[in-house]
Amino acid sequence: MKVTDFKELLIRSLDKDSDPAAVSVKIEEAGATFRFSEGFRDKVLEKIYSSGSAVIREVEFVRSLNSVFYRIALSGVAAIVILLISIFIVQGSLSLDSFLGLGDSSDESIICLLTGN
Amino acid sequence: MIKESYRQKSENDLVKASLDGDKQAFGEIVTRYQNMVARTVKGMLGDSVYSEDIGQEVFIKLYHSLSDFRGEAKLSTYIQKIAVNLTLNEIKRRKRFFSTFSQKGNNEMYEFEVADYDTEEKKEASELVNKALMKMDPKFRMIVAMRMLQGYSTKETAEILDLPLGTVLSRLSRAQEQLKNILGKL
Repeated sequence: MKVTDFKELLIRSLDKDSDPAAVSVKIEEAGATFRFSEGFRDKVLEKIYSSGSAVIREVEFVRSLNSVFYRIALSGVAAIVILLISIFIVQGSLSLDSFLGLGDSSDESIICLLTGN
Repeated sequence: MIKESYRQKSENDLVKASLDGDKQAFGEIVTRYQNMVARTVKGMLGDSVYSEDIGQEVFIKLYHSLSDFRGEAKLSTYIQKIAVNLTLNEIKRRKRFFSTFSQKGNNEMYEFEVADYDTEEKKEASELVNKALMKMDPKFRMIVAMRMLQGYSTKETAEILDLPLGTVLSRLSRAQEQLKNILGKL
């Protein structure tokens, strides 16, 4: 294929109405082929399967990190439960006021506290 | 004989077998899709040894993320997405490197290693495509590589690049203008 014709084909391949699959085959036939070198498959497989031990170490690290997060989460849940029990014992209820430490205060005393009068 | 039996397997069967540690099954996936990955990676990065490394990375990443593949989309689309992401990361990395350590311009940061061709005409065609693509803006180059080299429709291109259809159409038209200008000077 002449260079000018090939250039035209490249430009036409981007037409909205063109058939991209058919044009790309023509472009490939004209010489625009992209291939990896011989033995590409074997190189990939060698890299993957020879680094098996490294992958296992990586997986083990992620697993141990997960278990640490579980422990932290469980400690957090236990702390929240203890806090709720202590609030219930001290305030006698689990209302919003008791959470905020306002269970025993009346509206007037809060206003006095905030305004200073 | 064994290779022949793998050739007849569906992609879902190959994925399952690969997850069970079957090396030959994953080898068949590499064989089936390596040319497709080569078109994307080499189309966007140029025909160099570095493209080969990125190509290998694509399949290594695929291997490690095979358990995430649910079979809802085609395996080829899944692989293309990995290839596009890794290639874009490499383009960004090169840009950073060249802007920090080198005075070379954007178009000079790609090296070519044109393979052996049986005719001079084919060699010229390959060089022409390489040079034209490397002179293009990367965001247009992506679209052009998908359309011109892979033969994807506008809809497929939008799906692989995670772009709205309208964006792909407008970039396609701007890419065509840019390609006309570039080819006019080559």
